[in-house]
Amino acid sequence: MSIDKYKINPEFRDIMPQEIIDLEEKATWAQNQDKLRGIKELPETKEILEEHSLCAGCPEAMALRYVLSSLPNPEDTIIVNSTGCTSLMFPHIALHTVHSLFGNQNAVASGIKRVLEWRFPDTVKDVVVLAGDGATVDIGLDYTLQSFFRQEKITTLCFDNEVYANTGGQESGATAKGQVFKMAPTGKKFEKVPMWELATTSGCHYSVNMTASAPKAVAKAVREAILIAREIGPTFINIYTPCILEIGLSANEGLGEMKDQDKDRFKSYKHVSPEAEAFLAKCKEEGLL
Amino acid sequence: MSKRSDMTKTHNWSGQKLVSTDHLLFEAPRTKHFMTGSEVLKEAVKRCTVDASVSYPITPQSEAAHLIGELWAEGYVGTYFRGENEFGVMSEVAGCAMAGARTITTTSGPGTLRAMENFAMWSGTRAPMQLVLMARGINSPLTIQPDNLEVQYLLETGMMIWYAENVQELFDMSIAAFTVSEKPDVHVPIVTVVDGFFVSHTREAVMLPEDDIALHPYDPYAAPLPPIDSEMPPGRFLRDPFVMKSNYISYATHASWQWEVRSAVERSRPYAEHYLKGLVHTSGSEDAEIAFIACGTAANQAKEAQRELNKMGVKTKVIKLRTIRPFPEKELLAALEGVKHAFVPEFNVVGWLSNEVKHTLYGKCDTEIVCGPRVAGGMSMPAEAIIQEVMEIVNAGKGA
Amino acid sequence: MAKESIKVRLPGLGGQGAVTAAHIAATAADTEGYYAVSNPFFGAEKRMAPSESYVRIGTVPIYDRGEVIYPDIVMIFHPQVITMGKSYTMPFYAGVKENGLVIINSDTDLLSETDKKILDNLNVKVLTKDFTQFAIEQAGTELATNMAMLGALFGALGTVSKPAIEEGIKDRFLKKYTASGGTATLDSVIEKKFKKKQELIQKNLDTASAAFDLTAAWAKEVGFEQILEAPKK
Repeated sequence: MSIDKYKINPEFRDIMPQEIIDLEEKATWAQNQDKLRGIKELPETKEILEEHSLCAGCPEAMALRYVLSSLPNPEDTIIVNSTGCTSLMFPHIALHTVHSLFGNQNAVASGIKRVLEWRFPDTVKDVVVLAGDGATVDIGLDYTLQSFFRQEKITTLCFDNEVYANTGGQESGATAKGQVFKMAPTGKKFEKVPMWELATTSGCHYSVNMTASAPKAVAKAVREAILIAREIGPTFINIYTPCILEIGLSANEGLGEMKDQDKDRFKSYKHVSPEAEAFLAKCKEEGLL
Repeated sequence: MSKRSDMTKTHNWSGQKLVSTDHLLFEAPRTKHFMTGSEVLKEAVKRCTVDASVSYPITPQSEAAHLIGELWAEGYVGTYFRGENEFGVMSEVAGCAMAGARTITTTSGPGTLRAMENFAMWSGTRAPMQLVLMARGINSPLTIQPDNLEVQYLLETGMMIWYAENVQELFDMSIAAFTVSEKPDVHVPIVTVVDGFFVSHTREAVMLPEDDIALHPYDPYAAPLPPIDSEMPPGRFLRDPFVMKSNYISYATHASWQWEVRSAVERSRPYAEHYLKGLVHTSGSEDAEIAFIACGTAANQAKEAQRELNKMGVKTKVIKLRTIRPFPEKELLAALEGVKHAFVPEFNVVGWLSNEVKHTLYGKCDTEIVCGPRVAGGMSMPAEAIIQEVMEIVNAGKGA
Repeated sequence: MAKESIKVRLPGLGGQGAVTAAHIAATAADTEGYYAVSNPFFGAEKRMAPSESYVRIGTVPIYDRGEVIYPDIVMIFHPQVITMGKSYTMPFYAGVKENGLVIINSDTDLLSETDKKILDNLNVKVLTKDFTQFAIEQAGTELATNMAMLGALFGALGTVSKPAIEEGIKDRFLKKYTASGGTATLDSVIEKKFKKKQELIQKNLDTASAAFDLTAAWAKEVGFEQILEAPKK
């Protein structure tokens, strides 16, 4: 969709609030469509995420900003998300987003992607899944892995806070062994599910485990993942975005926690299939990265 | 496999001539064929310019599902694949419909229940996907035989529900279903129910139009809500968890949205009347004082009983309901003029149809409603069983 | 004309303890011999986002459930409820009944002339006071703001005694308490602040008690009539 589609209906223009008119006339993110957008655009491209209704200092909100700034084609990107704290961010962004049930995000995304390829075979339309660890690893594991088996051309981002935060702090599959949370009053009995490894063995051509401590690293991974998904096959990124509320940190302690985990549970993991590797090299040459 | 860009203004991507629904259903010349319900569904889908279908095996709809796959390989259906389980399939179907595809899928019994969470979501999404439900019993214990208890579970999901009696009706209804559900002032999902085995696996004569004609394609931009295809600015209906703004906004939005979905189902009436040639079909003696209210195979069995009873000098009429949602109240009341006893034969333990009939007719009608005969678990219902029930009423005053 | 039951609405921001205040209030009223029910709003919890809770107290059994849409008393825990509209009702006093009471935690007057006129017509009294500052002075932490508000509520009511309030506070902080994630986190933060639980209880009690006295005096001064009849012993 071109930026021209985001125009106010002329019949209603005279009753629109100035801020809506400003969005159309002064949209900064629309101005530099031809050059590569990234983290450096964040301070000026407010429209993509002006504000959010998550807790003050929430690392998910930080990570979402990085993700949104690194989308190669936001005007042709559809985000499918799931119930949880991630779904609370979406009313505030200007993209097409779909919220559907809990755990079925990769199934819905598969249907959307296939139909978009059928209806618009000559237009690049990226379908990106953005869900929490509960949605990806527990209730949605079946649909997530099956979309990888089927080689669906979608990007799956998991905002891993290792807990069901939105429902008050219950143990999830992504919780570390021994951690005490609701429903695990004596500590979790089994290991953290290595979703990034499962993604690799299930057919992802690109699978990364990281934290959101470094904005540029997140932006780079997201961009690579989306480009690979366009041509080669499914991609997966697991991003640690701790729930400061559930682990008892204050608003300005999230970043420190992520930096600590860079050396521990979220030590860097990156798998790139040979096909994807070759493709990324080509993208670099073409200036897409 | 075809390309959508092969479609022209006059022909679809598989070279079929585009015709109106009226032409396909009422005007095009037809020839006789002999086939099962599963096979006829393939014939219907073939003539419907279908963009997408997702499938999963479960008895007795596996055949219909794989035959639609053949249509994809032959170039008639745009995109098709096998999903991982029914819950996944229905979510995939939701994605297809949201992205602007004319989408069809099938399931049965336990598969329906497995997918259940999706159906209210489908209605709330206001997407016009079609589910062909080949009814079969629900566990526990296991039965793969025809029993339509599952329809009870779907009654309040906000979807339209139509019931086909036989192979011919399945063909015509599944075509009309696309047209009616896609009307901009309707635009809710539709379930075309048909009894498993009794129809899906039964071979009978059916009249079909030629296969070189097909429906016009679905236009997602005529929809009341924007499709999720990044070709139009997005609609807020899926993205806004209103509860985060205010509980009161959330309540008001949810309530009004739910009412709107059900109003949309009501608005389908005139279209359904036109394409189904009436929401209720009556046969037998006009002035009968005994009637059968039935849908699907139960209507078939009632017609057998009606014929035999007539020979015995007992006049009856069969009132076949073709739609369950919207419920044809007006038509049913008209058909019950002068009827003293109405039997509701059904293939399930709870009698969901007689419940629907009773609560609709309460206070509006003097007819005594007899909730039966009923069979369940996949049992067949011979006309003899129906006749026996009727004779108990007829002979009641005359002694044994 | 004291009523046989009253409803209280406590809008605050996540993290302030509005929900805790409601539970303690109901427990105290129950201890005093009233029928009492308390519940939080049904929604997701987030720091600094709207968080509302409700208390119903009476001399007759209470059947009413859910949100309090027509309150007798509204207690605003944070100025942003009004200034930023972080409220589930607009205006924040929507539904308030005649002869009721509004308590606002703020260091400035946040009511418009229209607000004042409407509340005046309903004979609703308004107490605006910086209870956060008060809590810092009394207990050394702003986390005791809700204790101050609690004391204010009972000072105005006049029919729930300080021993009953003490019972409510002890019940909440000494017994094992099923709390949501956010609440549990804040509990442990408070616990770290006070060397012994007893010290915490005492500071809370002192804060509530001081606010109780202050508000009772204010009520007399402005002629706020007894709104709830005394419990039947």
